[in-house]
Amino acid sequence: MHILHVDPADGSRRDTTSALVDAGFDVTGCGSLDEARGALAAEDFAGLVTEYDLPDGTGLDLVDDARERQPDLVAVLFTDAGFDEVDTGALDGIVVEYVDKGMAGAREELVDLLSFSIDNRSQTAYPLPADEEGRLDAVEEYVDDVEALDTSLDRLTQLARALFDVEAATVGFLEAHQERFVACRGTDVGRIDREDTVCTYAILDEGPTVIPDTRDDPRFSDNDRLSAAEIRFYAGAPIRTNGGEAIGVFCLFDTEPGSLDDRGRELLSLLADEVMDNLDVRRQLREATAGGDDD
Amino acid sequence: MTEKQYQFGGLSLDPVRGGTSILVAGPSHVGTKELAYRMLVGDDDEGVIILTTNATAADITADCEAVGIEVSPDRMGIVDCLDSDDSGVPARVLTVSNAQDLTGIGMRYSKLYSDFHAEGVTAVRTGLFSISTVLSLTELQTVSRFVHTLVGRVSKVGGLGVFLVDPAMHDERELRTISQFCDGRIDVREGEAGPELRSQGFLGQSSSWTPFDPSVAAEDD
Repeated sequence: MHILHVDPADGSRRDTTSALVDAGFDVTGCGSLDEARGALAAEDFAGLVTEYDLPDGTGLDLVDDARERQPDLVAVLFTDAGFDEVDTGALDGIVVEYVDKGMAGAREELVDLLSFSIDNRSQTAYPLPADEEGRLDAVEEYVDDVEALDTSLDRLTQLARALFDVEAATVGFLEAHQERFVACRGTDVGRIDREDTVCTYAILDEGPTVIPDTRDDPRFSDNDRLSAAEIRFYAGAPIRTNGGEAIGVFCLFDTEPGSLDDRGRELLSLLADEVMDNLDVRRQLREATAGGDDD
Repeated sequence: MTEKQYQFGGLSLDPVRGGTSILVAGPSHVGTKELAYRMLVGDDDEGVIILTTNATAADITADCEAVGIEVSPDRMGIVDCLDSDDSGVPARVLTVSNAQDLTGIGMRYSKLYSDFHAEGVTAVRTGLFSISTVLSLTELQTVSRFVHTLVGRVSKVGGLGVFLVDPAMHDERELRTISQFCDGRIDVREGEAGPELRSQGFLGQSSSWTPFDPSVAAEDD
């Protein structure tokens, strides 16, 4: 796992980098906010460890920037600055872990906390399904050669759009940090950060999720992405494996508020099941082919 | 090593394993706050950290003592978001200027926990009183990240988290989102004969409404 580590003091940066590398992390070290911004622009990181006081800003400024690019990024403020020196009120909405660099065993605690937070994804701004790890394994297992399903999924979204008389219908799969849309009718999206998608919440429910008007729902009323796309009505049925893992969502969108009756929910679930059946057939085919290759 | 279990003396709640976070949801006038405090009453070797968003450290101390928590600097820490005068409060008090400063709250919580841990107090009960104040000041997504991080911290150290919320102040979808970060939820209501609680979502707990007496301190049971 790749960590961005920012500390302007060479000796301290070296010692912390060494502790992180010893724990098995790959580390990119930077001495300033500007340098760290460059690193963030160049690649994604699993975690960010930063001093507070940087020559050209603060570690909290950096966390703010970094989460614009990677909303799920695990961030740890690793500093010897006292509470009086850290202006935590300057930026609204920043949540980080904190380790006092001056305490005994600070670097061991940092490594421990960073590893735990990355493994458990404990800094996301949205709830995770109970077995997120198992769910992600299922996504990997089923959503392997999804391009091969493009045509059939596209047909299903086309049908859904006509059947429900909505602006758009999509099929999306929820990967670790983003939703990947593989079939879209009436809209054109590729990937969206999970914290910005309604589907992130839809996979937490057993049956279909219906949001009559996203502007009236406190979970989405501040969502700029939905506002920009003028999405008001949302309905989504989880695409579930036989083991119960919700790997994706079959969605309907509209620019006007709407509703979905029981029969509509049932039909939407059938479409989600149809996608799952297609994925399952593809998986079995892959396994059979792999088995045949082995023989 | 035996896994830490947190007991709830005098309450009809089964013990929970270390690392569990529980949302306690109910109206303030039916003893919800008292229930949450009573869930922080533990053994002598346990510590307590309370993050208070709408009460002073002195008020928190009085509320703790009322339910039988022995308040002392060796065992108790308070993060006070009202920046109140904490002179005379027999606990470690760290202040932040307001309840919107979630970074500041989190940093002080980490500091209190680390200090306790360094001194050998490894089992810590954490109370966040209350999420309602935080939600009224800060957007849901930020509060979500804060609660998730706090739940993660409680889980990592094998602690117990008790998060208080007044459902009347929030949309049910907001409440459900916050509860989805926790391992379980206890709802409180006014029953025919007095306050009742109902637990859901964690180890072997019953899901029926059960009466409880908010005025009885644990040590008296």
